[in-house]
Amino acid sequence: MEPADVALRNDTYRAFVTLGRAPSADEVAAARGTTPDEVLRGWRRLHDEHALVLDAGGTQIRMANPFSAVPTAHRVRAGGRWWYANCAWDAFGVCAALHTDGRIETSCPDCGDPLAIAVEDERPEDPSLLFHCLLPARRWWDDIVFT
Amino acid sequence: MNLFRSEEHVTAWLGTRPPGVTVPVTTLSALAHAWWGDRLAPGWTPHSRQQNQAVLDGVGLTGEFWRLG
Repeated sequence: MEPADVALRNDTYRAFVTLGRAPSADEVAAARGTTPDEVLRGWRRLHDEHALVLDAGGTQIRMANPFSAVPTAHRVRAGGRWWYANCAWDAFGVCAALHTDGRIETSCPDCGDPLAIAVEDERPEDPSLLFHCLLPARRWWDDIVFT
Repeated sequence: MNLFRSEEHVTAWLGTRPPGVTVPVTTLSALAHAWWGDRLAPGWTPHSRQQNQAVLDGVGLTGEFWRLG
């Protein structure tokens, strides 16, 4: 990954956390003093490198892992805001990335019962829950939205 | 990648699908903090596959299922 793309990625993540949502290409371009087209070209390279995930149209951020740009079944209260995570792993990742305690709200995919988990000092308050990873690691990026 | 109340719920949810791997949520939290902890660091640089594999190994997620490629 070229240094310029790493810098764009880091600026994009910074904007995501500052705004509490995915920034648009226009917003990132304005902050960097460049053009939206230049940002989009960089984002597409970052998408190809799995450094972020664009939507199907290739013009908006879908995931800045562990953060999701769209509502999901995994909500996280951390750093004074609500965030959406892409999966249970990413829900803990939101607390990890922000270096803060938090509260994860999701549901059991089998019975639908709500599950709320406090994360304190990098540990889940309820250690009895289980995490199921359906796909082997080598297939995670075959379809990252499904994963 | 979901959380479940128990192994019975995992089994019921899977139905006829082939299972993946189930681990304690404590392992998941340790993995997440090791994997994502630097994502907002000002000097973040991409992880190599070897670095990511070392993170998985470091929390005990070893074996073919957890091989990244």
